[in-house]
Amino acid sequence: MGEVKVGVFLADCGNQLPEILDFKALNDFTKKVSDVVLVDRSNEFWRGEGLQTIMTAVRDGTINRVVVAESLPKLSEVNIVQAVEEAGLNPYLVEVIDLKDHCAWPHRETPKEATEKAKAMLLGAIERAKLLDPIEKLEFPVLKSALVIGGGIAGMQAAVDLADLGFEVHLVEKEPFLGGLAARASRFFPTDDCATCIQSPASDVKTITHTSRKCVYRSGFSEIPNLSILANSKIVSLEGVPGNYKVTIEKKPRYVDEQKCVACDLCTTVCPIEVPDEYNAKLNSRKAIYMNVPNLHPPVYVIDESVCKFHDCAKCVEVCPTNAIDLDQKSERITLNVGSIIVATGFQEFDSSIIKEYHYDDYPDVITNLELARMIDGFGPTDGMIIRPSTRKPAKKIVFIQCVGSRDRRYNPYCSSICCMISLKHATLIKSAYPDTDITICYIDIRTTGREHEDYYEKAREMGIKFVKGRPTEISRDSETGRLIVDVEDALLRRFLELDADLVVLAPAMVPSEGTKELAQIVRSLSRFEAFLDEDGFLKEYNAKLRPTETKLRGIYICGGATFPKDAPTTSLHAHSAALKAAKFMTTGKIVKDQRTAVVNEEYCGDCVFCPVTCPYGAISLVPTTEEHFVAQVSDLMCEGCGICVGTCPLNAIELRHSRPTQMLAQMKALTSVNGTSKPLVLAICCSECGGTVVDSSGMAMMRYPANVRIMKVPCTGILQVHQFLEAFEVGAQGVMVVGCKSDGCHYEVGSQKAEKKVELARTLLKEYGIAPERLEMLNMVFIEGNKFAEAAQTMTERLEKLGPLQLTEVS
Amino acid sequence: MTSYALFLGCTIPARQPNYELSARKALSKLGIELVDLANMTCCAPPPVQSIDLETSFAVAAYNICLAEEANLDLVTLCSGCFESLCAANVALKHSPAFKAKINRSLSKTGKEFLGNKEVKHYLQVLRDDIGLKRLKQSVSEPLNNLKVAAFYGCHALRPSGHLRLDDPERPSILENSIEALGAESVEYKNKLKCCGGLLRGLSDEIALDLAREKLANTTKAGADCIATLCPFCFVALDIGQMQVRSKFQETYDIPVLHYTELLALALGVDPKELALETHKIKVDKVINKIS
Amino acid sequence: MNYGSEEKLASTFAEELRQRMLGETITLCYQCGTCASSCPVAKITPSFNPREVIKLLLLGEKDEVISGEAIWLCCSCYNCDERCPQKVAIPLAMFALRNIAFKEGYIPDIYSEFASAIYDNGRIVTISKFVEKKRPTLGLPPLQPTGVDAIRKILSATEFDKLQLKKEETS
Repeated sequence: MGEVKVGVFLADCGNQLPEILDFKALNDFTKKVSDVVLVDRSNEFWRGEGLQTIMTAVRDGTINRVVVAESLPKLSEVNIVQAVEEAGLNPYLVEVIDLKDHCAWPHRETPKEATEKAKAMLLGAIERAKLLDPIEKLEFPVLKSALVIGGGIAGMQAAVDLADLGFEVHLVEKEPFLGGLAARASRFFPTDDCATCIQSPASDVKTITHTSRKCVYRSGFSEIPNLSILANSKIVSLEGVPGNYKVTIEKKPRYVDEQKCVACDLCTTVCPIEVPDEYNAKLNSRKAIYMNVPNLHPPVYVIDESVCKFHDCAKCVEVCPTNAIDLDQKSERITLNVGSIIVATGFQEFDSSIIKEYHYDDYPDVITNLELARMIDGFGPTDGMIIRPSTRKPAKKIVFIQCVGSRDRRYNPYCSSICCMISLKHATLIKSAYPDTDITICYIDIRTTGREHEDYYEKAREMGIKFVKGRPTEISRDSETGRLIVDVEDALLRRFLELDADLVVLAPAMVPSEGTKELAQIVRSLSRFEAFLDEDGFLKEYNAKLRPTETKLRGIYICGGATFPKDAPTTSLHAHSAALKAAKFMTTGKIVKDQRTAVVNEEYCGDCVFCPVTCPYGAISLVPTTEEHFVAQVSDLMCEGCGICVGTCPLNAIELRHSRPTQMLAQMKALTSVNGTSKPLVLAICCSECGGTVVDSSGMAMMRYPANVRIMKVPCTGILQVHQFLEAFEVGAQGVMVVGCKSDGCHYEVGSQKAEKKVELARTLLKEYGIAPERLEMLNMVFIEGNKFAEAAQTMTERLEKLGPLQLTEVS
Repeated sequence: MTSYALFLGCTIPARQPNYELSARKALSKLGIELVDLANMTCCAPPPVQSIDLETSFAVAAYNICLAEEANLDLVTLCSGCFESLCAANVALKHSPAFKAKINRSLSKTGKEFLGNKEVKHYLQVLRDDIGLKRLKQSVSEPLNNLKVAAFYGCHALRPSGHLRLDDPERPSILENSIEALGAESVEYKNKLKCCGGLLRGLSDEIALDLAREKLANTTKAGADCIATLCPFCFVALDIGQMQVRSKFQETYDIPVLHYTELLALALGVDPKELALETHKIKVDKVINKIS
Repeated sequence: MNYGSEEKLASTFAEELRQRMLGETITLCYQCGTCASSCPVAKITPSFNPREVIKLLLLGEKDEVISGEAIWLCCSCYNCDERCPQKVAIPLAMFALRNIAFKEGYIPDIYSEFASAIYDNGRIVTISKFVEKKRPTLGLPPLQPTGVDAIRKILSATEFDKLQLKKEETS
């Protein structure tokens, strides 16, 4: 390693700190520490002249380790580290401490003691800096291509965004046609435009003008360069790492050549096979060769292989004017390598037949909103007429039932968020077109939360649509007339009603689609943890506030209804967000990551499975070595540098490069080497997330706590091992506080919980040794609880004073 | 030969020897042994649950303990006993904390609830142990297409999460068991609705109104008789039929029989051996139709 | 149903109700009215509506509910229990409310008869000696003895017997 030459830079924060801390004493003290070759003082060191001073010292070779006492530690650290790197030194040989928030401010009333503590803090930083290793930056390639799974409105929008940005995009859709659920919804709120419009995602391609929307078949969507559309295709498997995912797709045969079909419809006129059309709620039928409605994309017919007679019939082949039909078409396996993946597999309606009392399965006149949408659609199976399926005659008395399977602890406890609006939309559309229709909506609550949504509710009441606040208990049917009877209590009127109806429309819950469930299984093979789905089966975002379209799996993004039911405008936003995140990920073509990660000492590693199982990021795998033995191996790409593995390993076989036990011990020793107060020394070991911020905030808010409390930061409290708590007492701490995130809010997921367990174990050991276990405690706090930290520090100090000094006997 | 500990309850031995007779004879003919255990008590049905829930669970558990000690599952004839005992059995098996609490109350009796036995309704035994096919084969005097309105009552089916006898919305076990006897199961309005039995003595007005609705719907559907699974339902519709007549001036003449009575008759038991004279609404026309 | 409650001192009515309901709670109710329209009694008389009973409790009107006639009109058919989308254990709540009413002295006459019969004979419906003697003539096996002693021990352990005695004193 060569000679270590430490430069120490003391910022006096516009000469404020010297009001409290004796800077001359600090200067003299620091100069005397071994291996310190330079001590300097200025107003600030993180920018301007001060920063230049550091850079010069580095360039000259005067120093090769940098310690800076600066305020605004995070902000300043970034600047300093960048500058040091520019000046030619490995940027990870820098240690920045905060004499203001961790010393001067909280100990304002005891300046002498504060100065002594500052000495200890500087010593701690210097001793740690001396033991720092240079850490390299690694580059991992990221392919500039994306896979979008799901060709509904979310997937299409995200795909177009990425294609416009120049990435190669593959859009995979398992149905023969794009559009998803929304395409069948006929009209959208609040814009009242038709579903075909929504299928044309906004694109900046030059072929389109700046109008707000265009029908999909006029949008040039399929001609966007870099965008390849694979309909009738399913994901078979996923492998790989972020930036380099390998996906295998099975493209099922359409039996119609995409290059030749002109969508003339002649084939359907001769096809002898007719089946109920599920696309149209089985209200009409389609042939074995079909396109459900005329404007679907791709504009290529498809054969339903489960009913077609193939060569036993082949009438369509005879009649096709372009010879587009190929009954021998085979499925194709396509393998793609992509840098990122966007999952947009959508939602579907809950199966209402489960709620038997509503008879969705055996009364044909009980339908769902989606089925009603097909009737409303002018291109639909009933030419826009609202009919009773049992008689095919117009329905004149319609009752809607909301929350079918939603807000229902037996099935889906959540509110599906869009069904009130869908029913209001449908009811007002029907009433507009057929004013003599009698419509009643039975509800528990009406939820119209978006912009212009309340207008629909108002319009509905104005049009004479009736509302009953009550959830019906059952639907029965008059055996003679076949009319439906909805049995409901109007809770506001306190009256029992038996609503007569031609047609009952259920607003079912929105649940994750079959495709989402299937995909989750496939994704599971990519990672060892179950982080992909939430408890209702929807795709789970990494953080609802800050990362709404990202997942825990780097490079895999989610958007649209597959994450939770949402309306079209929100889906659009969501899709843009996912595309942006994917673009940011891919745009440089690489991931640059420093090696502040865990590293395994293979000699010690002992064939156990603790660390792979504990790592919250699935970054550790087990690899066999030659002697029927296996060792752990850390992926630098996946490792987040928390150190929970370190805290878990029973053999000390794994270390974090930037937080080694030797570095921690040196820092502990230094922090307890100088007391300068009449109080017992307390070591507060804080994580770099909530634990660290609460200490910062107690200082920033100028809370007071005594100067015998010394702060040491670790990446995550999960890194700490039981023996390290005992070491703290050995080196002179009278008390130890471990400060981490709340148990259910650890930024590294499980770290603080693990730390709690170890603290418990350590306390048991202390008790065995005859040492009061209250000398060691774990605190879980968040940033805004600065006052609680100050109180806890004070309490610990008083507790230790009562207990008296700790007597440890040396055992030779 | 399958053996069960028979739980008779109170109402049947006190008031309905016809139910007990038909059940014992029919089940014996089908090869089911019913063991009478000593020291059983009330099952602690809703009237007792209304006074104190903890007591009623303890009493129910006590009775199940007797069966556990005899190493037999329990079978009940009365749906009320079925609900009370089965729900208690499931609740205690499900929650160790609750089980511990009830065992504390039981400790003075020297018994401990272990949770290793089942509580069944006799219909379950017919379906699961005998099976509909064998039941049909055992019928020697098919019921001549007698039109029977199947009436489950409430507590054979609900609360379905605990009892799990059949689908609470679309049950079929009773209808199938009726048809296996050569009778015809007749559909009628509001089949699964309560007969009001538990309100008798508390609010006769409501109880009789509910009974009346049941009688009207079954009659309208053309049923020759109503088949019940519970002594409370039986009383509500049999004695109740006479009370409905005097209160509402509406006469119904629809005999009410326990399913076990129909079963016994179909298995060839002589009607004279079934104490049918205890029925308030005479069953002669039913007997005539099936012979 | 979740029956996992531990012994705790009931400090409020809500807590007492929850304890008696073996850990279940009525606060899940969002007043959808499914229970009301599935209730055979509510359809016949305005004196009982399960949704309203729960509403009153949620508003804190304990006395009105405990002293009223409504809670005695539930026929325990469990239809509401089947249909409730929030899985509120309504029949259990009715029993628990009756338990509390019983404790506070609001007792319909017929129940004190049941209570006495349980204590005296171990059964709510007494099997008379006359009926018992008739059994052999009908072809029924002799009746096994009733576990009166055991039931009395249970009634003492749960302090049920104190409830009953309380009633006799005030009658």
